[in-house]
Amino acid sequence: MAAAVAVPSSILPSVRFRRRILLLAASLAALGAGLLYLKIDPVAIFRDFHYVVGLLDEMFPPNLRLLWVKKGLWLSVLQTVAMAFLGTLVGASIAIVLAFLASVNTAPSRPVRLIVRTLLATERCTPNIVVLLVLLVAVGIGPFAAMISLCIGSVGMFGKLFADAIEQVDPLPGEAIAAAGAAPLQVIRYAILPQIAPSIVANVFYAFDVNLRLAVTLGVFGGGGLGFELHVARSVLRYKDMFACLILVMILINVMERIADFFRRRLFLREVELR
Amino acid sequence: MLQVNGLCKRLPDGRAILSDLNFRVEKGEFVALLGASGAGKSMTMRAIVGLTSVGSGSVVFTGETGKTYTTTTASGKELRRARRNIGVIFQGCNLVRRLPVLDNVMIGRLGRIHPLRSWLYGFTDREATEAMEALDRVGMADFASRVTGSLSGGEMQRVAIARAIFQRPLCYLADEPIASLDPKNAESIMQLLQPLARENPILGAFHQPEMVMRYCTRVIALRKGKIIYDGSPRLDAAELAEIYGSELNRPALTMAAPAAVER
Amino acid sequence: MNLGDFSLGRYRRRVIPAAVFVAIVIGAALLCEVSFSDFVKGIVKGLSLLTFFFPPDWAAFPEMIRPALVTIVICLIATPIGAAFSIVFGLAGARNIAPDWLRLVSRSIIAAERGLPEIVTLLVLVAAFGLGPLAGVMALAIGSIGMLGKLLADAIEEIDPRILDATAAVGATHWQVIRHAVLPEVLPSLVANSIFRFEVNIRASVLLGAVGAGGIGYELNAAINQLEYSRATVAALLSLLLVFLSERLSDRLRSRIIGAGRLG
Repeated sequence: MAAAVAVPSSILPSVRFRRRILLLAASLAALGAGLLYLKIDPVAIFRDFHYVVGLLDEMFPPNLRLLWVKKGLWLSVLQTVAMAFLGTLVGASIAIVLAFLASVNTAPSRPVRLIVRTLLATERCTPNIVVLLVLLVAVGIGPFAAMISLCIGSVGMFGKLFADAIEQVDPLPGEAIAAAGAAPLQVIRYAILPQIAPSIVANVFYAFDVNLRLAVTLGVFGGGGLGFELHVARSVLRYKDMFACLILVMILINVMERIADFFRRRLFLREVELR
Repeated sequence: MLQVNGLCKRLPDGRAILSDLNFRVEKGEFVALLGASGAGKSMTMRAIVGLTSVGSGSVVFTGETGKTYTTTTASGKELRRARRNIGVIFQGCNLVRRLPVLDNVMIGRLGRIHPLRSWLYGFTDREATEAMEALDRVGMADFASRVTGSLSGGEMQRVAIARAIFQRPLCYLADEPIASLDPKNAESIMQLLQPLARENPILGAFHQPEMVMRYCTRVIALRKGKIIYDGSPRLDAAELAEIYGSELNRPALTMAAPAAVER
Repeated sequence: MNLGDFSLGRYRRRVIPAAVFVAIVIGAALLCEVSFSDFVKGIVKGLSLLTFFFPPDWAAFPEMIRPALVTIVICLIATPIGAAFSIVFGLAGARNIAPDWLRLVSRSIIAAERGLPEIVTLLVLVAAFGLGPLAGVMALAIGSIGMLGKLLADAIEEIDPRILDATAAVGATHWQVIRHAVLPEVLPSLVANSIFRFEVNIRASVLLGAVGAGGIGYELNAAINQLEYSRATVAALLSLLLVFLSERLSDRLRSRIIGAGRLG
């Protein structure tokens, strides 16, 4: 009886407590080592806090007059949205084509599939900034370079997801249509696309969200749009202007998120109704 | 032991869901609350534990030493002190799914340990050993280190009972402990509860009159929030029909009660 | 099939939205200064640039190891710090355990924070703390709080209320319910999300590095600005490798956590 009720040592409270303390100590030690390695002085956060206060002092109040004084600002907002929109759209379109070339069930041949798969995997791993920096050299500074960079990033983001979705498609409808004499492209249009459409839509909205943030980000590097305005305001130390831009970015991203949510919900509702 | 005096509860729109409940549960009793869905069984349970506020009436527990606790008017520390004396046997699905079984049992003691200890240290080895004994009593000692979410419904229900035992309460409240269990599992849960009731009284809500007839010592039947029957668990067809309103609502009674299944 | 199938009526519902859509696309293209000639020129120029980028200057590789490690360490520090703070915001932002005013405050902070790309946070931090990894760590940590905090608050709100009731019914205080029921239920998903966030942070930190947070991104940007393209290739390849490895690692670890329910 006594043996039957012994607590297994792996869940004995004292053992677990000791394990937890060790884990905590190890994490703190690792954190300390990391800070040392980066030569970060954590005390600096507090010691230099008066800089933060000074900065906040300079930032307040935000120069919201900018919104109606400077007409170009609204253009920048539109530009940022346009970059994200086009980047997502074009990127998704290219990704769909590539995805069909990369899926086992639709690829024309094995070598093509492997090449496209590798391409997609590489793209997926390439940070956007790498693409942008190269493009800035090739195409020149401006929103066009940022847009292409977003496109390429989206292709990487979507390609694998779409290809996986295509590979998981139920083959029966396609076979039935093919048996009725449909060409491969018709099979794709009428049997495969309808099945992957929900996954495409969901991912497109997600990617738009990601791309909008990236559009602001890449703007800072010379991609134009709101990010660039922000960068300029900071470079010339007009912190009140910077704060206004910052608020604009915050509102823009939250509003676009709401709008995207709205459309997504509507599209999915329709999807459900159809079923 | 447990005394419910004139318990009333109304919905915001004025409809009464509990009206003037009066009963006492004494030591050694195994009392079953019967009633159709919506008769007020769960609400009575929740009111007794103080999980819902009541319009009027009181719930009083009396300890061995004559000390009394109430859940209806108490709040904060006082409510906490009252609650730790009530061992609620919830449906098994109310366990914390991602914790090991043993931790779920030890949660039963939370009312007796200081919140700071909860955060800084946790339970002690002695409590763990005691929790193991409670698990052993319900036949679940081998499962102590398993993740609770991976257990079957019957196994979880046993863990829930072990939690209540480990809590060392003055009385037990069982909220439909055998609902959603298959007959064999339900039978063995009732066999666990029966001896428990001899130590500390059990007040349980049930849906299966045939189980109640065989294991409980007394039945309190509710209909539309009122007590319509309080007495022997030997119910005849007419009484059942009254409790459950219509023939349609009545649980299958024709199914002959199976012989007690030994585990 | 006859011509009747192609009646205008059938397509009207599609033609108008399609026309609007095309108009939007054209407008967006104009805003983005899309130009076909630039594109062609870019390709030509890009191809000629390739000769500068390749072959990579492998001699620069040893100098790149430390920046690559710096990038990793920045993320290794920022992610857990962000995760730790996200617990506070997650608890405060969950309807079922926090009072309404606190939830509103926490959710607003999270929303505002999520509306700021890391780079924007970084620009502000750089203005206060100067260039260097400290600003990078803080920007990534703040970014992580937004995402992890929102996911955690949502996860907490999805906990079955009966579990919380059942825990409170033994006489546990509010904070004990949080410690023994809420946290155990949501911590595994927080860990899984943090690992995913680590992967996101690696990508982001390459980017932040280019602005001056240090690490491999800084080397990349510096090399391109100094027109040392073959050196930039090494940095680019290395950052690609970092992202690839972090993705693999995060996939592996997450499937393990989700696969085996965790103990403790």
